[in-house]
Amino acid sequence: MSMMTGKQYRESLRQLKPEIYYMGEKIESLVDHPGFVPHVNAAALTYEMALALEFEELVTATSHLTGEKINRFTHIHHGHDDLVKKVKMLRAIGQQTGSCFQRCVGHDGLNAVYSVTYDIDQKMGTDYHRRLVNLLKEVQSRDLMISGAMTDPKGDRRLSPSQQKDPDLYVHVVEKRKDGIVVSGAKAHITGAVNSHGHLVMPTVAMKAEDADYAVCFYVPIDAPGVIHIFGRQTNDTRKCDCFLDQGNVEYGIVGGEALIVFDRVFIPWEHVFMCGEYEFAYDLVERFATAHRQNYGGCKAGLSDALIGASYAFAQVQGTDRASHIRDKLVEMVHLTETLYCCSIACSCQGFALPAGSYMADPLLANVTKLNVTRHIYEIARLAQDIAGGILATSPAEMDWKDPRVGKYVDKYMKGVADLPAETRIRLIRLIEAMTCGTALVESMHGAGSPQAQRIMIERRANLERKKRLAEKLAKIGEQPLFVC
Amino acid sequence: MSQNRHKVKVALKYCGSCNPYVDLSRIARHLAKVVEARQGVELVHLCDDGIGVVIILCGCHRACGNKPEVRARAKRSLVIAGESLSGKAVPEMYLPAAVEQELIRILDS
Repeated sequence: MSMMTGKQYRESLRQLKPEIYYMGEKIESLVDHPGFVPHVNAAALTYEMALALEFEELVTATSHLTGEKINRFTHIHHGHDDLVKKVKMLRAIGQQTGSCFQRCVGHDGLNAVYSVTYDIDQKMGTDYHRRLVNLLKEVQSRDLMISGAMTDPKGDRRLSPSQQKDPDLYVHVVEKRKDGIVVSGAKAHITGAVNSHGHLVMPTVAMKAEDADYAVCFYVPIDAPGVIHIFGRQTNDTRKCDCFLDQGNVEYGIVGGEALIVFDRVFIPWEHVFMCGEYEFAYDLVERFATAHRQNYGGCKAGLSDALIGASYAFAQVQGTDRASHIRDKLVEMVHLTETLYCCSIACSCQGFALPAGSYMADPLLANVTKLNVTRHIYEIARLAQDIAGGILATSPAEMDWKDPRVGKYVDKYMKGVADLPAETRIRLIRLIEAMTCGTALVESMHGAGSPQAQRIMIERRANLERKKRLAEKLAKIGEQPLFVC
Repeated sequence: MSQNRHKVKVALKYCGSCNPYVDLSRIARHLAKVVEARQGVELVHLCDDGIGVVIILCGCHRACGNKPEVRARAKRSLVIAGESLSGKAVPEMYLPAAVEQELIRILDS
């Protein structure tokens, strides 16, 4: 099978029977439920853009396993060009969706597990890499969307996985059988979980010998028995059901759509197990996945910011403030911040390197700097957008009142800006800016791919403060004076 | 002169040292001592002909110095890329000794 179209992707989801709950309801048809349609649409665009001539250079790649043309979201990076193209692809798609399109998480998971299974096999004589390659061939040939499920609920953060009072607070092996393992636990905040074909489950922290049962990595189809999805609420999510215009981004929503995935004694055949007890490799897997995912954020979020800058500029035109110097200055600042993020993602890609498996990963220090900047700059970009938009962002009348036969004419009259543009244009832009800056979307920039402190820890580990000290000592004529500090 | 013709030539190539994660000078100084103490080996410039071993010193995993044209200058090559030697992880404090060990293994083979 070749790459899927967006329509084929939707149809492929209809063939699955995952267990999904949302707002007290068991969801029978995700693809047709208004609470999920925007997220399915955003993911579907990763399929449609791969087939579009305008984007195929970025959104497709050549499989190193088969030589076939594949969707880049199923590709293993084999050079700097791949790393850079991933970032460019994410920006290009983000510009079109104005929201998270989810598919990068599984992509980063596949790349991380690909390299770590190779390393485990080299040291332990296991067979994980062959299994992963087989899964990868299937993912590539069927153009599957895989979620990357790393974050456990974690319970008491002071305690390691094996020290928790409730053992299920981290995903763990509860039984080993001849034909596979049985796992229990949960993964939280998993992006795109409900509209993926399967989940790539990875450990979330470094582990010690006593945590060996928690050092487990596997693939599971979304509708495997015992896999339960509880979909998360989002700001203004009921607008998906009772409004159109007030949603702001009707087509693609405000975030990727996150879910709590519960594993209630789920059976995993050995062929889909990629780590089972090799606790000393848990940290490598976490670091490589985190690096790959943090590398992304200056790509996708820059794409979203492009759309937000455009909305702010258009809104200023609607209000007649677009020539005001302070508005121009704020728009320039938004561009500056956006391109700063993009610079970071491109830089960590260019500074990437080859791993023993032959695949490439981004520079960890620079990738963490990228994501840490996202936790700040996206908020500042959003603040500037809100500044430009004004208080109407929080007080605009509802779509229903605009359509009301009694008061609609007043909404139309008093929501108008410049005379030659209709009030509807202004209201639509208000709602788009609201959707992109007033709620869940911002939290995604703060905590997606790990919270700021996780990035700080990684940055400190790679800060090389001793060398910086030697540089200073040389300049201050302290101690040894080598010709160069190298 | 005739003695020099039979010496194994060892050359160093730095990545450029933009922001090295490991102390490349320390490794290079250690190697210079190893070569000096060992008969039949000499440190030469990479431009020399007939180089036996090129040791590529890169400050981080990006390994900017590890290029085909550099490796092609010698029969054998050793690549230090951050805390790694020829693709295997080595903590910085052990790198000089590990490089020495690997160089001697090559020279003896």
